[in-house]
Amino acid sequence: MGGQACVFYGAAEFSRDTDLAILADAANLARLRKALAELRAESIAVPPFELKYLRKGHAIHFRCQHPEALRMRVDVMSKMRGVDSFAKLWRRRTTIQLPDGSAYELLSLPDLVQAKKTQRDKDWPMIRRLIEANYFENQKRPNKAQIQFWLLELRTPELLIELAKQNGAMCRRLSARRPLLASAASGKKVELERMLTAEESAERKRDQLYWLPLKKELEKLRHPK
Amino acid sequence: MIQPEQLVEDEWAEWYRLTPVQRWLESEKLWQTYLVLGGSLDPEPDTQSPFFDANAPRPRPAHGRASLRVLRRSRV
Repeated sequence: MGGQACVFYGAAEFSRDTDLAILADAANLARLRKALAELRAESIAVPPFELKYLRKGHAIHFRCQHPEALRMRVDVMSKMRGVDSFAKLWRRRTTIQLPDGSAYELLSLPDLVQAKKTQRDKDWPMIRRLIEANYFENQKRPNKAQIQFWLLELRTPELLIELAKQNGAMCRRLSARRPLLASAASGKKVELERMLTAEESAERKRDQLYWLPLKKELEKLRHPK
Repeated sequence: MIQPEQLVEDEWAEWYRLTPVQRWLESEKLWQTYLVLGGSLDPEPDTQSPFFDANAPRPRPAHGRASLRVLRRSRV
């Protein structure tokens, strides 16, 4: 769900770990334990590899010791802020098959964008690139779902203004959900840039608040009394 | 209709114009080069990540030295 998914959809991230979104249930965890054992993956930080931590939204971190994946990091998560349940993610997933026949299951682009709305600086240019790439790929013949996705998620003022002018009715309808669309429709670029920055700041603040109790829990696990 | 070249540098525009699978394969080539050159699989410390632990032990570089050393500096 991480760096390679970003590469696939059009951003560019040289991520040195592998991030997996998984279904957190006992049977699936047993399968994952077996796969991690084949990679000789060792848990390298808190929390321990237990269902209750995955269900709370923690990530479990591993490092592989198998010679063919030596020192490779694997991070496993099941619940992400603002992102739907695993069952919905799985229904919407993208499956790719490479020329060598290997197949990979990726988060859908809208789900990846949601997962990237974090407190970290590096995720926001990534979101912008992901949606720009999707826009340029499909701008000639977009469907309604794509136009709605772009209106709700684009972070490029020029493209938002172009799109809002072409899709006035949908833009007006969605402006209750995303107030900056009114500025896009009226072509006010400077105001739009300011509102995009404010939107990002608010989202990053929400992510920090979401993580507060989880970070406290991690601290307790790191330094038990 | 705005085109990629009007918004981003040529390298990015070229990247956008690849198909998703082409981008994936290009990144695999980059990975192979990185590993041949001895690149590490340890992620960079991410101080903004909620998982970041300032006290966690960090892996040492393979050559046993810090990766950045001051070779020369002024007295100021």
